[in-house]
Amino acid sequence: MKAAMTRTRTMMTHPLAALRAALPALFALGLGSLIACGTAVAPQELMDARTAYAEAAKGPAADLAPAQLDTAKTSLDAAQKSFDSDGPSQKTKDLAYVAERRAEIAAAEGGREKAERKRAAADKDFKSTQIEGLEKTKEQLEAERRAREAANQDVNKTKAELATEKAARAEAEKRAAAAMASLQEIAKVKEEARGVVITLSGSVLFATGKSDLLPIAQEKLNQVAKALVGQGFKAIVVQGYTDSRGNATDNQTLSLKRAQSVRDYLTTQSIPPEKITAEGEGASRPVAPNDTADGRAENRRVEIVVTPDKG
Amino acid sequence: MNARTWVYACFCGVLLLACGGAAVPQDSLTAAQADVKGAEVGGAADNPKAALHLKLAKDQIDEAQKQIKDGDNEAAARTLDRAQADAELALSLSKEAKAQGDASDASEEVGKLRKEISK
Repeated sequence: MKAAMTRTRTMMTHPLAALRAALPALFALGLGSLIACGTAVAPQELMDARTAYAEAAKGPAADLAPAQLDTAKTSLDAAQKSFDSDGPSQKTKDLAYVAERRAEIAAAEGGREKAERKRAAADKDFKSTQIEGLEKTKEQLEAERRAREAANQDVNKTKAELATEKAARAEAEKRAAAAMASLQEIAKVKEEARGVVITLSGSVLFATGKSDLLPIAQEKLNQVAKALVGQGFKAIVVQGYTDSRGNATDNQTLSLKRAQSVRDYLTTQSIPPEKITAEGEGASRPVAPNDTADGRAENRRVEIVVTPDKG
Repeated sequence: MNARTWVYACFCGVLLLACGGAAVPQDSLTAAQADVKGAEVGGAADNPKAALHLKLAKDQIDEAQKQIKDGDNEAAARTLDRAQADAELALSLSKEAKAQGDASDASEEVGKLRKEISK
């Protein structure tokens, strides 16, 4: 009892002695904890941090945000170190939480940098496309200008051609008018519904009862041909007429032969044969009474009916 | 080192722990609050994922302030580290989303222009 009291007093006198006695137990407890840590399962936060880092390292952050990825690695190492020394403590969990966020930041920064590069490339593309568009517009404008110029040239050419044609037509009309005027000196010229009718007296062209052209007739027909060629025409019909004396059949035959003689001669004077025909009309359609010599002379005639080229 | 020295060392360690040891993490608190403000200005609230981390950052700042009040400054410092990481992530996510949107718009504009030119 005395010894125990002495021991108690001694302990009270020396409180550190108690701690000294407890040291082996404290040591054993610490060692136990360390062993426990060595086999402890990593907390969810640390596993998440490892996964986040691995994903970030696989993504664009590896090339585009290396500094942030490095920071994430440092954070992950700190969390791992804490786990190695303290096990799944709150400190380890906090460090792992931060490490996971750092990895996510690195991934986001990598993604941002990638998007910014994509945008820069698109901006560049936009500018070059704009230039391309401007070039195209320029080319189109140039082509339009050239087309306008060509059209203007065509218009000018057409105008010149028209002017030339107009002048040529005026000249031709002038010539035709002159020819017609001269024709009117040797024959009667009249415009009727069937066409322009040129009437030549039979006595000027043929001897009585004959169908051969007199020499003077040829001169007159030359003038007629010249006028016809100058004026232009679609078709010509040469119609022979007689007076009413004699046999109707003979008159018909004679009128046709005379018409054919005139037709044949005109074809030798540049009148196309396919455009000119001959008809014998006999004593039909008299232009004067047949009971006087003058009237019969008027009825013995050749009419050249010209269908004009226009209108 | 003899046994007495060991005992003194342990005693001093216990005293330090009892006094709370760590100082109030005022700098970390200021930094975390600044990061939250930066994320808000950066438009983190407009992006769902960024907004989530912004909220986590704010909640953790509140929690850290409570821990400081309770004298647990060491835990508060770690909570503020978490808050700061969330705030920074919120800003990064917001920037990434904006950059992706801009890139998409720019590509679309190029497409429209090309279509216009090819007419």
